[in-house]
Amino acid sequence: MSDAIVPYSPRGRARAIKGFLGQFLSYGGAQVGLVCLVFFLVVAAMPNILVGPLQTAINATGEFLEPPSSQHLLGTDEVGRDVLNLVVHGARISLTIALLATVISLVIGTTVGMTAGYFGGPVDVWLMRLTDFFFVVPSFVLALVITPVVLEVIGRGRDILGFRPSLFVIIVVIGLTSWAFVGRIVRSQTLSLKERTFIDRARVAGSSNLSIMVRHLLPNLVPQIAANGALVVTGAIYVETSLSFLGLGDPLQPSWGTLLSLAQRAGAASAGAWWYLGAPGLCVLTVSLSFVLIGNALEDTFDPRRRVIP
Amino acid sequence: MNGGRTSRHFGRILVRAIITLLMVAVLNFFLFRVIPGDPASLLLGGARISVTAEQMKAQRQNWGLDRPLFPDQAVDYLSATLRGDFGYSFKFRGRRVADLIVERLPATIVLVSLAQFIAIVCGVMLGLYAGWRRGGAVDHIATGASLLLYSTPSFWVAMILIVIFSTALGWLPGYGAYSPGVSTRSLDQVLDYLRHLTLPVSAVALGLIGQYVVVARAAMSDVVTEDYMVTARAKGLTGGQMLMRHAFRNAMLPVVTLITLNLGYVVAGAITVEAVFAWPGIGGLTVEALNARDYPVLQGVFLLLGASIVLANLVADLAYGILDPRVRQ
Repeated sequence: MSDAIVPYSPRGRARAIKGFLGQFLSYGGAQVGLVCLVFFLVVAAMPNILVGPLQTAINATGEFLEPPSSQHLLGTDEVGRDVLNLVVHGARISLTIALLATVISLVIGTTVGMTAGYFGGPVDVWLMRLTDFFFVVPSFVLALVITPVVLEVIGRGRDILGFRPSLFVIIVVIGLTSWAFVGRIVRSQTLSLKERTFIDRARVAGSSNLSIMVRHLLPNLVPQIAANGALVVTGAIYVETSLSFLGLGDPLQPSWGTLLSLAQRAGAASAGAWWYLGAPGLCVLTVSLSFVLIGNALEDTFDPRRRVIP
Repeated sequence: MNGGRTSRHFGRILVRAIITLLMVAVLNFFLFRVIPGDPASLLLGGARISVTAEQMKAQRQNWGLDRPLFPDQAVDYLSATLRGDFGYSFKFRGRRVADLIVERLPATIVLVSLAQFIAIVCGVMLGLYAGWRRGGAVDHIATGASLLLYSTPSFWVAMILIVIFSTALGWLPGYGAYSPGVSTRSLDQVLDYLRHLTLPVSAVALGLIGQYVVVARAAMSDVVTEDYMVTARAKGLTGGQMLMRHAFRNAMLPVVTLITLNLGYVVAGAITVEAVFAWPGIGGLTVEALNARDYPVLQGVFLLLGASIVLANLVADLAYGILDPRVRQ
């Protein structure tokens, strides 16, 4: 970005977007990441069409821990459920949790970072103290103590917004505890942006603080937020998988982490049931890797300094 | 060097650490009190057996729960915590949380420090080399492998290691820290312990190596493009001299900070790996506490993790200030 005055034109914006996409898609990592991601999103969008309804112990179609066969492409679990069926349904749960938690975390991180950077002074000091806390204490550790307590408070009864309570709690807790990193980056970017002339111009023209933040600062922060958002998703997947693995997930809406937890409890590793623990694990690995690759490619695209070095 | 400025810098770091630690304690205090049914009913065995109102009242008085939350209970809580009194476990009836933690701590320290050591030696060296020879074969392989490892939950690596080395090949045990029936004579027991330690350490180390390679590589690539490296080359230094005299030391700066900062995360990450191997450390304790909803133990573990993370941060900040004088301004 340069300070030279560029006359605004819709065609210029279209060209800029096209240039960005061309640059972004020229990275092999971005291509691989996007293809994997689209695949999993499609799978997550229509699990019932692909593999039928989620199997339970009652409508299980196989025998105890069957290895992969033509009938059960990924084998079966300890109660005879088809692992492919479980993993496909798990995609929907895992991706929903990770993406919603990321949205919450990006909204909080951006709001806190932008407010702190824009207003400065005591607002900045106090908001940054709060950010320090969440930056220092890992989201996983916080979620580990907060999730069981909140679950105890609201009970495991009815669904909230279509989610089982434990999933809803996990989404909110991950979102509330993983924004600090975004907050810091947004703040530092805001600090440099607010000194630029277009902000002064907006202020002289009588724009309110809120409108300056939303209409002038936010659009310029999008690159940083997007690149870091991809990394936040990776973190959210990690925390969700770990929490569910430790038994905080919901067996009635199993995510990949819950499946791994079930596999662990069934002794899949010592029974040599590699298909049972392999399938959900590979899914976690592929999706996190896709987001890392996309995040890296976005960062390389937005930061020309990094582009020069191979 | 300005002495006043330096001490002010260190003072500020210390104040921040104390504030963070206080926030951990405050969170702990309130979380425990948010749970429905007050602690007294939880202490009386879930209160499913008939408890008279008098018994309840006596319990509440006994534990000081009839007094106001703030300042009385909060002050009590803080002073007890500072004295190392974290209360009593629900699951292990009557046992002090502090004792339980102290009992389990050594196993975790052994696991984490060995894994950390291996990860530092392998990961940092590989990362620095990859950054020094950017675009080479080693760089491509190391970057690819570390991205893969970085995206993999370490407990899944642990499960895969068990399937391969324990179940399929039968080389190493994948459960617990000791085999039953091994003689308690020193050498056999040590060997047995080491055999049990191998897979958990590998799982934790593999999870860390990915990160260290990425950071060390990035640090080295930043250094390589610096002006002083061009100057060094212009002075006629050989590649090895440039690497040792200029690049290595400057690249180590961010790496050292990351390693120190990472300490808390490592312990947290080891929790899931310990759960896989039923390793008798803090992680195993945490999982038992989670399953039994043993809140005092959970809170104790949280406080311990919080304190060690804050301490690691403090060390990292101080170390950075000493290593890089520019930060102190």
